[in-house]
Amino acid sequence: MTFLHWAILFPFLFAFMVPFLYKTFRKIHTGWFVLPLPICLFIFFLQFLPGVKYKEGIVQTVKWIPSLGIDFAVYVDGLSLLFALLITGIGSLVVLYSIYYLSKEKEQLNAFYVYLLMFMGAMLGVVLTDNTIVLYTFWEITSFSSFLLIGYWHYRERSRYGALKSMLITVFGGLSMLGGFILLYIMTGTFSIRETIAQSSSIADNGLFIPALILLLLGAFTKSAQFPFYIWLPDAMEAPTPVSAYLHSATMVKAGIYLVARFTPVFAGSAEWFWIVSLFGIFTLFWGSFHAVKQTDLKAMLAFSTVSQLGMIMSLLGVGSAALLFDHFEFYSVAILAAIFHLINHATFKGSLFMVAGIVDHETGTRDIRKLGGLMSLMPITFTIGLIGAFSMAGLPPFNGFLSKEMFFTGMIRVLNMDVFQTETWGFLLPVLAWIGSIFTFIYSMIFVFKTFAGKLQLENLPKKPHEAPIGMLIPPIVLASLVVIFGFFPNLLAYSLIEPAMKSVMPSLLKDGEHFHIHISHWHGFTAEFWMTVGVVILGIFLYLTASKWKRVYDLQPKRMTLNQLYDHSLKTAGKTSNRLTSFYMTGFIRDYLVYIFAFMIMAVGATMIIKQSISFAADDAAPVGIYELILSIVMIAGSITAVLARSRLTAIIALSSVGYSLALFFVLFRAPDLALTQLVIETVSTALFLLAFYFLPELQKKDKTRRFRLVNFIISAGVGGIVTLLAISASSERTGKTIAEYFLETSYSLGGGYNVVNVILVDFRGFDTLFEITVLAIAALAVYSMIRLRTGGKDVEENGFKNE
Amino acid sequence: MNNNIIILPIIIPMITAVLLIFFNKQEKVQKYLSAVSSVINIGISVFLVHYVHTNGIISLEVGDWKAPFGIVLVADMYAILLVLTANIIVFACLLFSYKIVDYNRSKFFYYSGVMFLLTGVSGAFLTGDLFNLFVFYEVMLMSSYFLIVHGNSKPQLRETIKYILVNVISSALFVISVAFLYAVTGTLNMADLSLRVAELGSSGIIAAISIMYLIVFGLKGAIFPLFFWMPGSYQAPPAAVTALFGALLTKVGVYSITRVFTLIFLQDIAFTHTFIAWLAVLTIIFGVIGAISFSDIKQIVIYNILTGVGVILFGVSTMTESGLEGSVYYMIHDMIIKGLLFLLVGIVFSITGTTNLDKFSGLIKKYPTLGWMFFIAALALAGIPPLSGFIGKLKIVQGGFEQGEFVLAFAVLLSSLLVLYSVMKIFINGFWGEEKIPQVLETSQVKSLYVPAAFLLALSLFYGLGTEFISSYIKQAEQVLLSPDLYIEAVLKE
Amino acid sequence: MEIVTSIVAGILFMTATYLMLSKSLLRIIIGTGLLSHGAHLLILTMGGLKRGTVPLLDEHAASYVDPLPQALILTAIVISFGVTAFFLVLAYRSYQELGTDDMDQLRGNDQK
Repeated sequence: MTFLHWAILFPFLFAFMVPFLYKTFRKIHTGWFVLPLPICLFIFFLQFLPGVKYKEGIVQTVKWIPSLGIDFAVYVDGLSLLFALLITGIGSLVVLYSIYYLSKEKEQLNAFYVYLLMFMGAMLGVVLTDNTIVLYTFWEITSFSSFLLIGYWHYRERSRYGALKSMLITVFGGLSMLGGFILLYIMTGTFSIRETIAQSSSIADNGLFIPALILLLLGAFTKSAQFPFYIWLPDAMEAPTPVSAYLHSATMVKAGIYLVARFTPVFAGSAEWFWIVSLFGIFTLFWGSFHAVKQTDLKAMLAFSTVSQLGMIMSLLGVGSAALLFDHFEFYSVAILAAIFHLINHATFKGSLFMVAGIVDHETGTRDIRKLGGLMSLMPITFTIGLIGAFSMAGLPPFNGFLSKEMFFTGMIRVLNMDVFQTETWGFLLPVLAWIGSIFTFIYSMIFVFKTFAGKLQLENLPKKPHEAPIGMLIPPIVLASLVVIFGFFPNLLAYSLIEPAMKSVMPSLLKDGEHFHIHISHWHGFTAEFWMTVGVVILGIFLYLTASKWKRVYDLQPKRMTLNQLYDHSLKTAGKTSNRLTSFYMTGFIRDYLVYIFAFMIMAVGATMIIKQSISFAADDAAPVGIYELILSIVMIAGSITAVLARSRLTAIIALSSVGYSLALFFVLFRAPDLALTQLVIETVSTALFLLAFYFLPELQKKDKTRRFRLVNFIISAGVGGIVTLLAISASSERTGKTIAEYFLETSYSLGGGYNVVNVILVDFRGFDTLFEITVLAIAALAVYSMIRLRTGGKDVEENGFKNE
Repeated sequence: MNNNIIILPIIIPMITAVLLIFFNKQEKVQKYLSAVSSVINIGISVFLVHYVHTNGIISLEVGDWKAPFGIVLVADMYAILLVLTANIIVFACLLFSYKIVDYNRSKFFYYSGVMFLLTGVSGAFLTGDLFNLFVFYEVMLMSSYFLIVHGNSKPQLRETIKYILVNVISSALFVISVAFLYAVTGTLNMADLSLRVAELGSSGIIAAISIMYLIVFGLKGAIFPLFFWMPGSYQAPPAAVTALFGALLTKVGVYSITRVFTLIFLQDIAFTHTFIAWLAVLTIIFGVIGAISFSDIKQIVIYNILTGVGVILFGVSTMTESGLEGSVYYMIHDMIIKGLLFLLVGIVFSITGTTNLDKFSGLIKKYPTLGWMFFIAALALAGIPPLSGFIGKLKIVQGGFEQGEFVLAFAVLLSSLLVLYSVMKIFINGFWGEEKIPQVLETSQVKSLYVPAAFLLALSLFYGLGTEFISSYIKQAEQVLLSPDLYIEAVLKE
Repeated sequence: MEIVTSIVAGILFMTATYLMLSKSLLRIIIGTGLLSHGAHLLILTMGGLKRGTVPLLDEHAASYVDPLPQALILTAIVISFGVTAFFLVLAYRSYQELGTDDMDQLRGNDQK
């Protein structure tokens, strides 16, 4: 176990201690105890920065289940380090923020930090591990910690609803991803990601390649809320705002992005990957930003914005994957550069904006923009942070968002230069949708900051009297906003320390050892197409923002009944109802119905087998001769059994049954089985007595109202059963083997067993073990009968039964 | 290799049961004696597992009559692992029963019934003779009739009738199938049967008989479409009994199918095993549909038994290394987790007096431990890593993919989602939410009920996190299933 | 002869099944009785009928009938007797508590 492994496990271990800290130190907010951990982890990860610049990456393994090829292998390269820093860095800020956001009197703090720490550790595990199964494990742990965090205020129905929704969708994706991982394993023979990457060229032609690709992308798209799986993210906003800032904007939802980035070397170069990732991404960008504009809840707006921005990054990864096909790859790998850069930028501005939303909510008591406005003067610092964040989000200079937006446009425009995968025909979609999506991004960014802080102050609509937030709550967003500014002015700080190593992880095959990507990010490139696109965005954006009321009606075009949310809700409800109806339909509680199903199955299965496999045979040469006594006895038996069926009175039925039993005893005599005959006689007599005794207490046989259909079905089934049994018996007799183990018994019954009566010796010696337990069965039956008669619980046993007592 | 110890896991419970009959009026004796016997049995099982691990398959010719003429008890790793798990489950259920079962019931031989059930189950796992299997089935069934009806409440009486009827039919079918097989092969010993059936080659009558066996064991193991008796019969008795049944009884059916279709009926795998694969997936589907149909938490877990059976059988049907290994992993996990879930259901019932989800919610406030135990158990049931169900499911799906059964294997994988949904519903609606508890019974006693549940939960956690420790045992179990020669050698070449 | 007894056993199974599919508990139990008889007859048939004489070694005969199925049947008879006894008492107690022996009315579905 190295320090790297401990880095991942520490949050889990610490999570165990949190409840104790909470109980013992009631006076101090538990968050203060938790805060040092992410900070230390951040510093710990910083030390790897210089290393990933030059080396291949650092691998350390600890065995978990080596016999199955599942190792807790940890791998630090540019991409994983980038994420690790994000997770721990933003994690620290979020924990600090939460100390002021969550009141220590009112909230169940121990639960909150346990879930949060679990999430942190699991997320680190996802990005740092090299083993796909371990990745899946941590992936699901993030799903569940997210579930618990969304449902944190579980007495609220919306929270429970949101938690369930997120769980169902992300676990569905997780399972698909696992399916993809298993397929990859079958193709490559390993669970190690690095080794899979090494084999990427050899599996490209495998029939399982595309299915694995699709399954993997299902996992990525569900986690990163791409269309159409995004519907869980807005409902996830039920979680406390620190959670929204952390999981649902900066880290967990980026796990899908991580997955796509990490597996790009495996799947890049295939047309399916290019188109699926790019198209879903760009459409999500558009769809998310389009819907963000119409939201009235600040957090919902940010949620849709996140969906949209994730789409943007996703599309960039898709477009950039084609760089593999070109010699002059740096022209196209700018898309990957943009993706990674925007990953960082998005974390900074979105995190700050969520915190701003949280502050507004905390101080005013509402997040509804219709009720907000004019807070600029009351919360100047918050306003400034919000302005910086929103302008960066809109893609305005001099902030970092502007830089990555420009590169985004560059990447999309350059698609028009590619002529692979039929980009000549369809490639234009990408820059067009990119541009349209950016317009709406601009609009909602403006809405966010101006509707909240500018305009008229509506004190009467606000539940609380607003004032500036406490300094502790302001520090984290200030830090993030500063980063927005710093990265905006000095983008190349990150270029070779963080971004380039990450790019190397995404496209390792493009560079030879020691080579580097050339990165230079600047604000001004001249009057390029990207420049004019941005100008267009701003102009159209301002125009649409000001004329908003005129065109907002376009949102009503989509009927309420046809939204994806409705689809989800409807599916769940229908699933429950249909299942209920189906199950209640065949589970009637009437034992006869169950027997009909069972017998029908038996007849069909055995019958079909007999026909297909030609089991039926008829060899009469070995058969015993038919004697006249046996024939008469057979007729008596048949007559007796039919009488039992047709009998009207209980007595007749019982006597008919006995007659069959006694005939059987006579059969035993005729077929040379005297012991059997004796036993049968005794048992039959006792049974008859029992039958008479029991039936004395039971009611008379009624002529039941049985429909013709009822009786016909019974008849057919019975005939089928009888027929099958007879056919099997005849066929088995015909196939009889000559040598049985009975020879041994006949030979040794006297010599070894000490008895002349072979059957007896078998019963008590050769197979005495059987007899011992046969007697045991009788004993248990006796106990059972005794307690059935004597045990009276008085009927008031609410304790034991699942049913409500009558 | 001969070893008399093999008979102990069968004999000790039986003797205990008989002794308990005599002391039925002394409740303390009942409890101590059964507990001590159970612990001893666990110890012996552990010893046997270790012994088989180092020495290979061991067998005992009862009465010293040579196989295949006499009855043989065979302890291969698969059987003995199941015996060990069964004993652990019984121990946990006993601990649970001590707190819940009142004097009245214990006077009427409840604990003897449990011990007899264990006798039957252990015997079924360990026997190497087909008719002896029938006899042990009857011991097991008779005990189950006893336990289901014990208490004589109306639902119990009603459901026992249906349960007995189905089992009488299955017993009759069992006995004639043994007869058919005897006629065609001339032997009752399983290893010998394997040899003789192999000699016959592709035989039509053997194929038909194998389907008969599938039906017989399927009736016990509750596969589609033979499971209809189960939801009612398992709902009626108290939770501790349902835990025993859900964890043990159906598993004996699954074990028998596995044993018979990996040892004896190997001539027509394309036909028989594909059939089993389809039935297995249908079982999963119906199990999952049933699980999301109802709001009664006991019914939800009962229908999940079906799903578990389907998953295990699917793994067996693939006849690949991964699939068989996975089914062994999953079988043991399923026994533990079903026992655990039913015990938890029992605790909920003690607290609220009902198992209907619509009637209670918000339990987590007063009973956080219970809530978290349930949460983890639910995750384990759905096969979420790193808990106990994951490895088994992973291997089974892998086995399915390897066999080219992509659609079926993927269905197995996706079933986890619906399983998760069905039990998470219990957590979300029963433990989360506003506090609403219809009636509170004996809160002080409730905490002591946690112990057996926690014990099983710890076991499940260890099973998931510490899989490496048991992987060599599971591998050994899987080897016997894949290569029947190992079994035949151990039994017949004495 | 085996063919004849197979057919007889088949008819026994048929009537037994018909009875077990009925609504009345009495008929069902009688059906189970017939079922056992049919099964036992079948086991005997499977051992081969009249292959030799009674399996008593002091007969010193040339060939004997197969003794193994006879032993199996004996065990089966005893076990099914135990079950039948239990079933009968169960029917008695159920009628006492539930007041009916009509399986159609004993569905227990109102609980769901």
